[in-house]
Amino acid sequence: MTRPSVDRQPWGAILAFLLPVFTVYAAFTAYPVLRTFWNSFHRVLPRNEEYLGLANYAELVRDDIFWRAVQNTFAWACISPLAEVSIALLLALALYARIPGMRFFRIAWFTPVLMSYVVVGIIWVWIYNYDWGAANALLRWLRLENLVQAWIGDPRIALPSLIFITTWMWTGFNMVVLLAALHSLPSEVIEAAELDNCGWGAKLWHVIIPLIKPTLLNLLVLSFIGKMKIFDLVWITTKGGPLWSTETVSTYVYKRAFEWTSFDLGYPSTIAAVWFVIVLAAVLGLTWLLRTRDRLEY
Amino acid sequence: MILGLYTAFAAGPFLWVATMSVRTTTEISLDHYAWPEQWHWEKFPIAWFKSNYNVYFENSLLVVLSAVAVLTVIGAMAAHCFARYRFRANRLLYFIIFSAIIFPPQITIIALFQILVQYGLYNSLPGLTLVYIAVQLPLTVYILESFFARIPSDLFDAARIDGYSEWQIFWKVSLPIALPALATTVILNTILLWNEFLYAVVLITDDAKRTLPLGIQRFMGDQLEDVGMIATGLMIAIIPVVLIYAFFSEKLIQGMTAGAVK
Amino acid sequence: MATVVLKQLSKRYGGSESLAVDSVSLEVEHGEFMVLLGPSGCGKSTTLRMVAGLESISSGELAIDARRMNDVPAKDRDIAMVFQSYALYPHMTVLDNLAFGLRRRGIAKPEIERRVREVAETLGLSEFLKRKPHALSGGQRQRVALGRAIVRDPKVFLFDEPLSNLDAALRVGMRGELVKLHHRLGATMIYVTHDQVEAMTMGDRICIMNGGKVAQIGAPLEVYRRPADTFVASFLGSPPTNLIPARFNSEALHVGEAKLAFSRKSSVENVLFGIRPEDIRIDGANPHAHGEVLAVEPLGAETILRLRVAGVAADVMLRGPRTVSAKVGERVPLAYDIAAAHLFDPQTQQRI
Repeated sequence: MTRPSVDRQPWGAILAFLLPVFTVYAAFTAYPVLRTFWNSFHRVLPRNEEYLGLANYAELVRDDIFWRAVQNTFAWACISPLAEVSIALLLALALYARIPGMRFFRIAWFTPVLMSYVVVGIIWVWIYNYDWGAANALLRWLRLENLVQAWIGDPRIALPSLIFITTWMWTGFNMVVLLAALHSLPSEVIEAAELDNCGWGAKLWHVIIPLIKPTLLNLLVLSFIGKMKIFDLVWITTKGGPLWSTETVSTYVYKRAFEWTSFDLGYPSTIAAVWFVIVLAAVLGLTWLLRTRDRLEY
Repeated sequence: MILGLYTAFAAGPFLWVATMSVRTTTEISLDHYAWPEQWHWEKFPIAWFKSNYNVYFENSLLVVLSAVAVLTVIGAMAAHCFARYRFRANRLLYFIIFSAIIFPPQITIIALFQILVQYGLYNSLPGLTLVYIAVQLPLTVYILESFFARIPSDLFDAARIDGYSEWQIFWKVSLPIALPALATTVILNTILLWNEFLYAVVLITDDAKRTLPLGIQRFMGDQLEDVGMIATGLMIAIIPVVLIYAFFSEKLIQGMTAGAVK
Repeated sequence: MATVVLKQLSKRYGGSESLAVDSVSLEVEHGEFMVLLGPSGCGKSTTLRMVAGLESISSGELAIDARRMNDVPAKDRDIAMVFQSYALYPHMTVLDNLAFGLRRRGIAKPEIERRVREVAETLGLSEFLKRKPHALSGGQRQRVALGRAIVRDPKVFLFDEPLSNLDAALRVGMRGELVKLHHRLGATMIYVTHDQVEAMTMGDRICIMNGGKVAQIGAPLEVYRRPADTFVASFLGSPPTNLIPARFNSEALHVGEAKLAFSRKSSVENVLFGIRPEDIRIDGANPHAHGEVLAVEPLGAETILRLRVAGVAADVMLRGPRTVSAKVGERVPLAYDIAAAHLFDPQTQQRI
């Protein structure tokens, strides 16, 4: 990938190309970030702002709901990726062995990914309905009545129920990516493993998985980031209830900003600011932790 | 066999909604899982007109199409610039844009609310459109940049020798070659923005200006028990996406997954 | 060390009308270096992979050491293969690459260590044992691939164009190395290549393949001097054999405008007269024909002339010693070494 090595860069053109993007970025991304941080140090009411120093932050530390939300969100961001990626791996391996009808399966499994969270949310609210939802209907049909639950009405299992939904949604995506990765593996290396006395299990463990490790890790990080941001699904299904058991940081921020008795925007900004730092730190930490030391050139 | 089960698992819910969308609520209450006896196609026009779905649909269409159009053009410009010109600030500026992918929406949404109110763009479709452009820029630039970078530089050198100006090079060389990637980002952005909910719910309150996801949600609150009608509404929202998907599935899958395979 | 016998081996890919490999029969002796030679797509690699067990056999029989191998899985055939792309495990060190196969077979650790160190010594890889493949040069990677095969001490070695990815100088060096290796180990080796120089210099016998079928099997010089058909005649040798349409009647052969006395009989009247460029001389004393020089290629050690000979449509190539000097446009007298020439039947392409 070479670039023109003229000493005189066409600065005019460069500027022209970048200006629109950076204008939008500055106005609607960069500035808001700064403004949010500014807000976090104030009490921001519709008609006046009052400087508070670190008072909001102090209150945040004592805010149980916030910490519960953080816990929920982190749990989601850790569990869902693991489930999504491992199930996806199994499915991709199954397809890799060239089952007929591959293309059809691929397309079918990818569908949940494209749907709006709103649509997905409503459908699953219906599935989880205690009286007539598909989940309980299935259990009753299988005569497992004792397992029938109020899936999203019971604080103990509401969060896992939601995590199940995101797994349902994203496994298809991960599977398609992993399938592509599997197909890009050099077939001769796998044949060499075959000659080196490797059955399917050994080939998988010693050769295939190490070679797709970068992709696996990539998917895990991608999924992690996605779950840290989650809002739509929760809002449609449980709105954070019952009893804060599915409250995520994003829903909490929304509530404090737009549905609280005080119209203060400062405190939710504080939450946003702190969360921003946490997310960045988590992502950086995760990438650092999972970095592969060598480039796998093949 | 496992595959069959999983397929049922993945696609099942949608089929269920599809069947419910053509049955009336009374029919549904009797048996939630029956195959429609009478196909109540008239529910669709009812939903469309009586429940304001046509308004929501139009709003979504307007916002999404304009946002994607602008987004693609300026995103491509920036991506082309990052990919083909070498200057000191290049990587830094690229990183600034690219890193925004990780930002949780909360960090900007409150301030965006304030800004839009301040400039009278709150509760307006243009305002929402601008926000949407900003939201999808990082991803778009990311995808396009890696694609532009792969174009062999010989083409650019040849164009330069032929006397093309930088802008012409962009229009006549980069864009045509990157058409597949552009198509992919257009489709991707369209689907993502079509389904976008959070920003819309914060920045739009007028019923007349609601986008489709908001419309559906309102439905949910309004007519909690009218399952049949809601199902019809859902189908209206799903069908465009399914259509796009049906035609462009290969491209779409490729584009969405391209970044993730290493 | 083992014998490998292919009996009418064929391969048809599902849904395909034609056979990729068509009734190939071949017998490789103990400790023989057999080369499968042919142009791209002739089926030589497919044949090799069938011997390896990486491709299923559509019909025919494969036996290694008189044991039928058709249904034996690749890992149980006791063969080792060196791939064209080396196929090293990118995520393992050189040491692990070499030891992997042995570990998988449950060989005792001290034995593994011994073998690996020995092979690394021989191939000059000892200082690279801790490196990963991406940190090695092409030649080094190739030696690791070789080492991986040697360390297994298999019955048969299979090579799939191992030298094609190396640059020219390295290739020449490695050729010599492989021949030395063969002599040292005395192992049975089957080697696939499209490069005739490799085939001629390395093989005990060459099996030339074309279009999925065997064209000829024999020692290098035999195949060179007595080609079985026009394909073999033109494939081996550079520039290729001149194939000139000729007429044969009573005792004389009419080549172009020349009349040649030919001892061997032919039942066919229209034939192809095949003569190698080096078997044509410039001879003023008893010329068979005259040629007009179209182009001169002085290669230093020898000279190649492109000639137009009266009555012959295509250009005729002549290969002479460096003393040959001619100018373009010059008319030179030519003599054919008839004893070294062959006649081919244009219909069947076979030698008469």
